[in-house]
Amino acid sequence: MKTGKSQNAAEKEPGSLPAAALAVLVHLVFIGLLIFGFHWKETPPEGMMVELWQDLPVQPVVQPQPPVKSTPQPAPPPPPKQPPKPAPEPKPEPEPKAEPKTAPKPEPVKPQPAPPKRPDIEIKDKEAKAKADAKRVQREREEQKKREIEEQKRREQEEQRKRQEEEQKKREQEEQKRREEEALKKRQEEEQKQREREEQKKREQEEQKKREQEEQKRREQEAQRKREQEEKARQAAQQAAAAAAAAAARTQVESEIGKYIAMIKAKIRSRVVMPPDLPGNPKVEFDVTLLPGGDILDVRLRRSSGYPAFDSAVERAIHLSKPLPLPSDPALFNRFRNLDVTVHYLE
Amino acid sequence: MNTTVTEDLSLFYLISSASVFVQLVMLLLLLASLLSWWYIFRKLFVLRDAIRQSDEFEDYFWRGVDLNTLYQRATTSRYTAGSMERIFISGFGEFSKHPPGTDVDMIMESTRRAMQATYQREMDRLETHLSFLATVGSVSPYIGLLGTVWGIMNSFRSLSSISQATIAHVAPGIAEALIATAMGLFAAIPAVIAYNRFVSDTEKLATRFESFMEELSNILQRRASH
Repeated sequence: MKTGKSQNAAEKEPGSLPAAALAVLVHLVFIGLLIFGFHWKETPPEGMMVELWQDLPVQPVVQPQPPVKSTPQPAPPPPPKQPPKPAPEPKPEPEPKAEPKTAPKPEPVKPQPAPPKRPDIEIKDKEAKAKADAKRVQREREEQKKREIEEQKRREQEEQRKRQEEEQKKREQEEQKRREEEALKKRQEEEQKQREREEQKKREQEEQKKREQEEQKRREQEAQRKREQEEKARQAAQQAAAAAAAAAARTQVESEIGKYIAMIKAKIRSRVVMPPDLPGNPKVEFDVTLLPGGDILDVRLRRSSGYPAFDSAVERAIHLSKPLPLPSDPALFNRFRNLDVTVHYLE
Repeated sequence: MNTTVTEDLSLFYLISSASVFVQLVMLLLLLASLLSWWYIFRKLFVLRDAIRQSDEFEDYFWRGVDLNTLYQRATTSRYTAGSMERIFISGFGEFSKHPPGTDVDMIMESTRRAMQATYQREMDRLETHLSFLATVGSVSPYIGLLGTVWGIMNSFRSLSSISQATIAHVAPGIAEALIATAMGLFAAIPAVIAYNRFVSDTEKLATRFESFMEELSNILQRRASH
């Protein structure tokens, strides 16, 4: 044993230290894993919390945000620059417009100087001609005015006619529309009426069907009730018959059991060696437990007769009389499992 | 980095805030785990060496070297010798102690006894601490469960004094209690695995030793009867 121990010590020493170191290492790794596992589990939710509400919408822009802030400052300037650019453009436009306006103005001004030129010519030629011309001109102007007035009246009348015609057309169209709408309404009403009639017919048919089905159901239920009643009656009759049969069987069984009990008692009694000269008619009761086949398992004295000689004689007789006669039907054995055996001294 | 520090604290806080009983259970489980891992590694080294040495010795032995030279070589390197080599030393030593002319059966009987004794001692050495591993593997989950049940019982008992009970009241208690179960399982699982592995390894070695003993005794008997 000494050598064994020394060998063990020699072998343990080289391996035990690295083993201990490795064991500690394993535990450190495990604890590290545990801690890192906790990190992994707990940090992402926090990141989510931060990202969800503050960073997500802005996140793509968050890092560029400082540059963006600087760019918006330049950005506002461009918009102002743009408005000014359109502004100058409109300004030059009104100016050309003003120029055409000024251009037509000089043209009407030119005819005004023209009439003075004519008088100049008339004065040079003949005053009569000038007067006549002036009259003609005046007449012509008046005629022109009259014509213009008539034309205006005609135009107004034509416009009135056109308006009246348009109004008539509109009225006719409206009337047509009304008629069409009325026709449509009538058709729709007729269709609705037809539908309602059809629905009523359907409802009536369905109601009739339902009534028929209900009547059928009632008939079937009544038929079922009749059948059930008949079945009940049959069952009652069968039960009565069965009960009668059972009762008959019971009476048969009881009679058989009684017969066998009597046989057992007779057998036991035949084996009793009666002690002589006992006064009166003493009675002994035994509880006997039987085995299937008639063997006796146990005999217990339930009530003594007061005469131990008689008790022991009966007990001996019970033991001697095995196997006891039992019915051949094993189902009846339960009635014989625990027997009460009472023996009277005198028969 | 701040968040990680707080989580570290939460883990250690859970352990430090556990009840004394649960802490004791955790300490016990930690010790059991450390010891079982220590034994696991030692056993691993020892068995590996034993298997390697047996391989080498068997290889050398069956090359047909003379038994006397083999014995001398083995005795000179006694402390680096493997289990099989030691069985050979004890058997051959006992065999050669008998003067020539002694009854062959007597010689064989005594050599067999000597080899058997060495074999028993070697197997005992190889099987040391295996029972500890088995114990840790089977018992530490129950110890962890006991700690967990105790911790949960405490947490529920403290719940009864609070009118409005929420999960927040129970959760830390249950978490700290469940750490005990985790530790128990951590101690048990490797122990069971290693135990099964080592038992099968030692059984293989034992059959090898036994067959070697039979073969050696046959060789020695032939040598004695000549």
